[in-house]
Amino acid sequence: MSEQDKTRQTAGGRLGGAAGPGGAISRRGFLRRLGAIGAGAAVFSTAICQRARAQYGAAAPDGPTLEQLTAMYTDMLKIRMWETKIKDLILGGGFRGVAHLYVGEEAIAVGVCHALRRDDYIASTHRGHGHLIAKGGDLGRMLAEITHKATGYCKGYGGSLHITDVSLGILGMNGIVGASHLFAAGAAYGIKVKGTDQVAVSFGGDGSIQGNFFSSAANSAAAWKLPWIGVIENNGYQIWVRAADVYGIVDLAQRAQGYGIEGRVVDGNDVLAVHNVARYAVAKARAGGGPTIIECKTYRWYDHYGAGGAKIGADGAFGLGYRSDRELRDWMAKDPIPRFRAFLVAEKVLAEQRADQIAAEVRQAVEDAAAFAKGQPLPKPEDGLMNVFAQGAVALRAG
Amino acid sequence: MAKSMTYAILEAIQGEMRRDKLLTLLYEYQKPVAGGEKGAINLEAEFGRWRVRFCAIDEQWIVGGALGMSMIGVPAIAHIPSMTTFIPYELMFNHAGKLRHMTGGQAAFPMVLWADMAGRIPLQGAQHADAGLESSYARLAGLKVVIPSNPYDAKGLLIAAIRDVDPVIFCQYPVPASGQPVPDEPYVVPIGEAAVRTEGGDLTIVGYAPQTVEIAKAVAELKKEGITAEFIDPRTLAPLDGVMQTILKSVSKTGRLLTSDDGSYSFSNCTEIVARVAEALPGTRIKRLAFPDAPAPGAPEMLSYMRVDAARIAAAARKLVKG
Repeated sequence: MSEQDKTRQTAGGRLGGAAGPGGAISRRGFLRRLGAIGAGAAVFSTAICQRARAQYGAAAPDGPTLEQLTAMYTDMLKIRMWETKIKDLILGGGFRGVAHLYVGEEAIAVGVCHALRRDDYIASTHRGHGHLIAKGGDLGRMLAEITHKATGYCKGYGGSLHITDVSLGILGMNGIVGASHLFAAGAAYGIKVKGTDQVAVSFGGDGSIQGNFFSSAANSAAAWKLPWIGVIENNGYQIWVRAADVYGIVDLAQRAQGYGIEGRVVDGNDVLAVHNVARYAVAKARAGGGPTIIECKTYRWYDHYGAGGAKIGADGAFGLGYRSDRELRDWMAKDPIPRFRAFLVAEKVLAEQRADQIAAEVRQAVEDAAAFAKGQPLPKPEDGLMNVFAQGAVALRAG
Repeated sequence: MAKSMTYAILEAIQGEMRRDKLLTLLYEYQKPVAGGEKGAINLEAEFGRWRVRFCAIDEQWIVGGALGMSMIGVPAIAHIPSMTTFIPYELMFNHAGKLRHMTGGQAAFPMVLWADMAGRIPLQGAQHADAGLESSYARLAGLKVVIPSNPYDAKGLLIAAIRDVDPVIFCQYPVPASGQPVPDEPYVVPIGEAAVRTEGGDLTIVGYAPQTVEIAKAVAELKKEGITAEFIDPRTLAPLDGVMQTILKSVSKTGRLLTSDDGSYSFSNCTEIVARVAEALPGTRIKRLAFPDAPAPGAPEMLSYMRVDAARIAAAARKLVKG
């Protein structure tokens, strides 16, 4: 039996549990490595490094299974390759839609959503493709939607900004910054009324916490210990405005304290760090322990919107006036995907060959999705009058 | 003693909360408690604090929370006081009214925004004596707006609103306990149907909420003079198509339309009704009465000078019929 086969035999065993029969990973060794990766990869202040280490101590008692680790790696690749394909399609010209690309931030959507059950809720943002993929979205139907085809997730009504699969527990991708937090907190209140152990997670950028949606969500979640988790994806920019220029604090999770909520700062380019703290927050919320605010420090590789500064076949958007190319290169060096792959290979969760195979499979899935979307029918024009209300159509007034 | 508007509303909610075990009410300081001949209603005592939740002074939460809950199938009523009508406007405008369409029919908001409306009350000042704001909601896509003028319609329209899977704004103006008696049992006044309050052949008068009191007085006065007015209460402001059928039928008979509004003159619901009548029935004689395009002053003599009352309605009607 080869080493990698032994590793696969232990799949299903939990990281935090005893080593499987193959003995590929000891509990202590794995956790030490997890901690080392998390701390070593923290790239912010010493204080944040210390907090990042502390997070592993607070991780939920059960870790991800080996199967989950592989699935997380696969989902990160799906987001990266699917969005890179969209970038290339935009640059190719004639693209029937828009996109706010998530590339660079994959570790957050994947780390958080893999701590959730299918029946948990998420509320997403204008930069939401990654959240939908990590929650189980179909790449073909997604691409059909962002090119406004009749068979897309929203039948062509929504496009990139609003692409949603309600059956996956997604409360909508919302183009109005901050609204996601409020709707997720409302859903968390509804969960308490229903009496289930579900949780509701909202994603929002660094710009999402200053308007009063966030404040209303956080205060209510704190007052009544709602199962709400607010994830702040701090990529440092609000469109082109540097967060550092418009906030008086560096760690946005500090705001949590003012509401009486536990706040955590985590390296958003380390999927295991994100996953551990999300797992902890989810377990706490399910047990009635109330909300958590998690700030994930990250960076977006592309412009706020579209593919300006990018090239077909190359990663990253350079030459944008509001940020330096060097800053981008520094962050691309902290790419969460090779980092996670190196960890999985080093820990023998995946062999190099298998990791390559997964990448090839995802690349093919993305090509299949693009071919599927291209062949899909356009919506009927008169359907624009439908779905205003549950019943009937509104009147055409143009003639 | 007839049931008050508030009692009728709480009785509607009580019945629906008994029927639907998830229906939840969020409110701020206005306790859902009312006394009446049939016994007191105390919603929190009956249904518990999770389903009848007093909140911070935070209309954004009350309405946004209700929207989030309703998205996961927990129907909700959000009750906000009259001086805060537009604080949740963005939520209703950009989210409640749009997400069903944006998601190709996937998202639904089975929620009611129970919005108190002040009306032109003296000795308050402009922030606590506004009226006509319902037209701002009625012009938004994807929202339904109902506006009862008596306790009977309030109960029936609210039950219809709660049972509707689309978001409904229920506008409660202070009106006296007039009209038909309110049954104890639940019943529905369908959304989208106007009420013909009095029948007549000389002119059509349209108005709702506190203006119905003034219109009713004017109609009685005109009758003594031999002028018969057909008085129509729209009850629903959005969608308006069903209501317009009733109004157009009446105006095609009378040839004259008088509208009377406590809201400001420009861009009101009556403006929309007038426009649709003018488009469908050219040649109709039309007059609009409304509050000026001004805030409401607190001093009673200024306020009553600016407001439409029964005498002014009667005078305008005479002019339309005879002039």
